[in-house]
Amino acid sequence: MSTTSQKHRNFVSEPMADKPVTALAGIGDRLGHSLMEQGYDKAYVVLGQFLLLRKDTELFCYWLKDVTAANSKQADDCAQCLKEWCDAFL
Amino acid sequence: MASLDNKSPQEISDLLDEYGIKHGPVVGTTRNLYVKKLKEAMAKGKKAKPSSDKTYYREEEEEVTYVYKTPTKSETSGDGGPYMRSRREWAEGEYGHDTSYSSYSSSRPEYRGRDLVNEPYMYDTPSTYSSNSYAKPTPMKSEPEKPKAQKSSRLIPLWLQFVFFLALAAFLYLVFSNMETNEPIQGIV
Repeated sequence: MSTTSQKHRNFVSEPMADKPVTALAGIGDRLGHSLMEQGYDKAYVVLGQFLLLRKDTELFCYWLKDVTAANSKQADDCAQCLKEWCDAFL
Repeated sequence: MASLDNKSPQEISDLLDEYGIKHGPVVGTTRNLYVKKLKEAMAKGKKAKPSSDKTYYREEEEEVTYVYKTPTKSETSGDGGPYMRSRREWAEGEYGHDTSYSSYSSSRPEYRGRDLVNEPYMYDTPSTYSSNSYAKPTPMKSEPEKPKAQKSSRLIPLWLQFVFFLALAAFLYLVFSNMETNEPIQGIV
């Protein structure tokens, strides 16, 4: 069982509301900036993309690595974070 | 390789299904991703595009059903897809014996020599459209095919079937010749 970061636990514990994209696990300043440039300024926009990909973490990782310079770990963390959030609140 | 960029979202979606790639809607943000996935899958030759095999199969099927449609015209005026199937099997029984039919049904996708040989020949008949010219050449055509068909795998060897047949004929002859009747049967016993 992989240990989750504090960021992950914080995000998954409550509705995301208007949290910025950098609140997502795996998304730091650099990646956050890259996403914001493409219009993904809020976490829920990224959530929208995740849902469009049918909540498939593999596809989402693929997408994230494609649009940003994310590595496998970062993409994976983000996908897991979103998935758990969806399981809890969607 | 067809240019994926020119395909409509629906076509992209269909291609993804062909390669067995689970996907969501193909929209602006996802299209690029799916196109990349498709290119990867094409490069790997994943599952070798099963639909292309299907179309090939269907083409053969269409040809054969079209070909066998001509004999039915002489008999009945009706036509239909499933009807062709039974007609074709009936025509099979007409050409060869039961053994060839069983081997045919087992090796159907392979289309043993007879069908392929028949096809180019039958192409003429739709244009001429006469059952007479069709009926004539087929006995000639079927003969060289019989030895071909014999080579196909059988459950019981052909010679054994002949032996059984002869044995049965001899037995029946004996029975018939030993029947007691009031008046003598002429020309037989």
